[in-house]
Amino acid sequence: MLQIEHLTKVYPNGTVALKDVTFTVQDGEFLVIIGLSGSGKSTLLRCINRLIEPTEGRVLWDGANITRASPAELRQLRRHVGMVFQQFNVVKRSSVMTNVLSGRLGYVNSFSSVLGLWSKSDRERALKALERVGIADKADNRADALSGGQQQRVGIARTLMQEPKLILADEPVASLDPVLSHSILRYLEQLNKEGITVLCSLHFLDLVHRYATRVIALKEGVKVFEGLPKEIDRAKFKEIYGEEAQEVRATTVEEG
Amino acid sequence: MAARLSSNPSKRSSITAGLLSLILPGLGQIYARQRYRGVIVLFGAFLAVLIAFWYGVPAWYAAPAVLWLWNVWDAVGAARGKLRSAFLPLLALLVMGYGIGWQVTGIDFSALIRNLDRATSIVIPMFHPDFFSGVETTNSAWAPVEVPCGPNPPEAVNTVNGIHVAISPNCGKLNQELTVQASGLWPDTPTNIQWATPIGDILPLGKGFITDLYVTTDAQGNLDTTIHIPPSALSAAPDPTLPLEHRIYLVQSRPRPGFQLSENGGYVVQGIIQTIFLALISTTFGALGAIPISFLAARNLMGGHPLTLSIYVIVRTLLNILRSIEPLIIAIIFVVIVGLGPFAGAIAITLHTIAALGKLYSEVIEGIDPGPLEAIRAVGGNWIQMVRYAVIPQIVPPFASFTLFRWDINVRTSTIIGFVGGGGIGFYLYQWIIKGDFEAVSSSFIAIAVIVVTLDFVSARVRARLV
Amino acid sequence: MDARRFNLRRWFVTGFLLLLVAAAYGIGYRETEINPVKLITSLGKSQAILNDLLHPDLFTHQTHDTTLDIVFPVPCGSAQPTQLPDNQAHIFANVACANPGDTVSVSGTGMQPDTDVKIQWLLPNGNALFSKLARTDAHGNFTAQVQVRPINTTTGGIPSHLQALTAVPFGGLLPSQALKDVINNIIVTVFIALLATTAGTIIAAPISFLAARNIMGHSRLGTSIYVIVRSILNITRSYDSLVLATVFALWVGFGAFAGVLALTVITMASLGKLFSEAVESIDPGPLEAVSATGARPIQVVVFSVVPQIIPDFISYIIYHWDINVRISTILGFVGGGGIGFYLSQRINVLEYQKAGTAIWAIVLVVWAMDFFSAEVRKRYT
Repeated sequence: MLQIEHLTKVYPNGTVALKDVTFTVQDGEFLVIIGLSGSGKSTLLRCINRLIEPTEGRVLWDGANITRASPAELRQLRRHVGMVFQQFNVVKRSSVMTNVLSGRLGYVNSFSSVLGLWSKSDRERALKALERVGIADKADNRADALSGGQQQRVGIARTLMQEPKLILADEPVASLDPVLSHSILRYLEQLNKEGITVLCSLHFLDLVHRYATRVIALKEGVKVFEGLPKEIDRAKFKEIYGEEAQEVRATTVEEG
Repeated sequence: MAARLSSNPSKRSSITAGLLSLILPGLGQIYARQRYRGVIVLFGAFLAVLIAFWYGVPAWYAAPAVLWLWNVWDAVGAARGKLRSAFLPLLALLVMGYGIGWQVTGIDFSALIRNLDRATSIVIPMFHPDFFSGVETTNSAWAPVEVPCGPNPPEAVNTVNGIHVAISPNCGKLNQELTVQASGLWPDTPTNIQWATPIGDILPLGKGFITDLYVTTDAQGNLDTTIHIPPSALSAAPDPTLPLEHRIYLVQSRPRPGFQLSENGGYVVQGIIQTIFLALISTTFGALGAIPISFLAARNLMGGHPLTLSIYVIVRTLLNILRSIEPLIIAIIFVVIVGLGPFAGAIAITLHTIAALGKLYSEVIEGIDPGPLEAIRAVGGNWIQMVRYAVIPQIVPPFASFTLFRWDINVRTSTIIGFVGGGGIGFYLYQWIIKGDFEAVSSSFIAIAVIVVTLDFVSARVRARLV
Repeated sequence: MDARRFNLRRWFVTGFLLLLVAAAYGIGYRETEINPVKLITSLGKSQAILNDLLHPDLFTHQTHDTTLDIVFPVPCGSAQPTQLPDNQAHIFANVACANPGDTVSVSGTGMQPDTDVKIQWLLPNGNALFSKLARTDAHGNFTAQVQVRPINTTTGGIPSHLQALTAVPFGGLLPSQALKDVINNIIVTVFIALLATTAGTIIAAPISFLAARNIMGHSRLGTSIYVIVRSILNITRSYDSLVLATVFALWVGFGAFAGVLALTVITMASLGKLFSEAVESIDPGPLEAVSATGARPIQVVVFSVVPQIIPDFISYIIYHWDINVRISTILGFVGGGGIGFYLSQRINVLEYQKAGTAIWAIVLVVWAMDFFSAEVRKRYT
């Protein structure tokens, strides 16, 4: 169980990115965070694993206080929290294999990993992760030889190496073609069904309806909605996105 | 046929490959169709043997030996279609390279420690840059003395600036003791007493007649002391027996608030100004010279005809030769030809600039986009119009950018061209370093840093606007 | 109306700027003491030097040396003159002896035809006094007029000798002493560049991280380290290697080691700045991703920073290697070792052919190294 309590983030330049956000995520949920660009979605996800330090409030995970964790404790916690990024964030000049193996860094000692010495079991695990996302044949390619969709799959494979209990996905499909969006989100859905909690920020409402078990909406750093996807009606939509907004669908592809 | 070969490139006898490589390194690899690898191995082995032979130390033959053995193994591998790791021979060559390098460059880190006192004598004065000096007010007076005594020695009293000085006796011979009395001086102030010969040489009167003699006045501004006539007082006299008037000077000085440029500070300013203008003149003339030459060195303009092509080849070769000779080398030759001074330096930097910019400019010309030229011709423009509207707009910004880049380099070069007599701050700097005047060195270091950093900044801003 | 006034102002500004530029060049012309007349008047001198430089001293022949010798008493009667030798080759004077100031005609027969003959006096003290050069004709004979000088006089009963020396080349070419010296020095030069580039790189790589804004962050400590390191790099970079070589030569003594130290410091500063710019231009995304997996800081650097910067680093190292090879050719001018010392010495004693050997060697090596690094760059970046 992940508890977010009174989370506030003020950047040094005075921007208030999050204001007193509180909610709870039960294990096994596929929680989607929606909101306009700049509404604080990315900040919220990064405050959970403290890539960004929150200004106030706390984050509790299975009772452990993440916001108070020492650097060593934080690394222990981060090992179990996978993260998927909008820009994939793979190292383009490294091989796919190295990128995937880097997900294992929290488990191995500094010395052997710096020398590039990996155990056989880690290599097998990496190959399995690549097989799961369907690009095992690309293991020896350089990451920049891959398409955007394939790079995001490398990102997911990297996350799998962590044996995560929680996945934070920051706009995982915003840089991809609509058709590819579903293939990526389906991997996340599948992982969710295997028991991994997923926190995902998304842009398109049709994707939210399709994948979310619960939705939280942010507007200028404030939580303005929490509930089931079907509860977002036209009025709610206007409230979250503003009067000018028109609903756009990510894809017209019908899925079964 | 060809397709079958390329799909199975390893169809070569591994024994033959190994034997060939045993005879000549790289030959087996070439035989096994690893041509590039073979050439590199051959070249590497050749170089390694040559260097080991040149230095004659038997131990250094280990590196080419390792390479040789590995090369046989690699040739066999190449014939079987396998590429061997080149780690071991590379390591051997590196060890040999750095080992010999260490030897011939005489690396001796203990010298850094052993001569630490020299370093401190360099570094400590660096914190007292000799750029400004204090301003002083002086107060001085003198009285005459005749040496040796003549028949009618003049009165040895004199009043200057309200200061009364009296010497007794009023004449004397070398080493004789004299009494100096004075009044009207600044009270409680150290006063330097000096001997001036008839031709104006100033002789100190302190210990051993090497150091200055200072006597402090009393509270009323009076002074009463004895001196000895310096033994060298007559050494410049044409006839030591001829009585002549010498003088005893009393000099007091007091610091005044304020600073002025010290003597060396003046040289620093002069040198820096010369340095900047050296860079300006040689960059300008270099760029002007490089423009016509760059057209001759552009392949797309000169490639059409055998005659123009040969001009292209000659110009390119000359530019390349000149470019590899540092301006300092050109400068020492021109110092011999036109003499010491900034002119020799200006010629040297200009020549080097022509070579360096000529190459860069010609590459710009080779890289111009033919599209706009076509477009101007298509609308009926003549040759001049084409140059004006399609060529110049394409080449001016990169020309300007390269010229500014060269200007940055030339400013740095101008600071050292004086080391060989080419003018600028380097001329003074080198002499100060050799003399060990590190206070002056320090002020020139500061001046160089200020000028170079400032000019870098300015040219970076201008370049950002251009591009 | 408006447009007119605008134009006037523009003209004024343009005129002022032009005046400023003209003044700058005027002062520059005077400051740099430009003197085209001198360039013309010294044309003969430069032609001679250029001619020597274009004919470098590369090879010598082995020579077969012969010396023909007769005793020649000065003044007459102070010693016994030589009896003419029996063998074929000999020299003789038109007189058997002479007094100081006299001119004597010296002839030689039976010598190597068409060969330079050096005529010299062997003085009583054993020193040789050069007199003049002659050349034998097709039959191996020569005649030359030489003057008798007062120092040729017999001293302590030992008379002066008159000698004719020939050196006939035979066999193949041998590398001259100049060529050997130049090769030795040029190898040292390349090694100075190699060691300095290596050491400079090793020091610059870690320092560059301290001079990279994105690594040092915006904390007060980080910013101050960044500013200090950057300033040190910028100030060091503004000095030419030669300036530092002079200082190091005083510190550790003249020689290649001083040059290596100076070049290392400059390489460190220059590469430190270039490296730090490469580090600053990396994509921060992978850093975030690797940190999020729970990796330690060192692992974050190795897995997300290093792969991004390696290609840039390599191309900067090659770029600086080229520069260092050039600079190491002149470090010797100020006592930093390498070919520069040899070159400046030869020019100081006016041995331009030997200087030419050194300059051609420099051109060759710089070319070869440029070619080599261009090949490496093509393949590895």
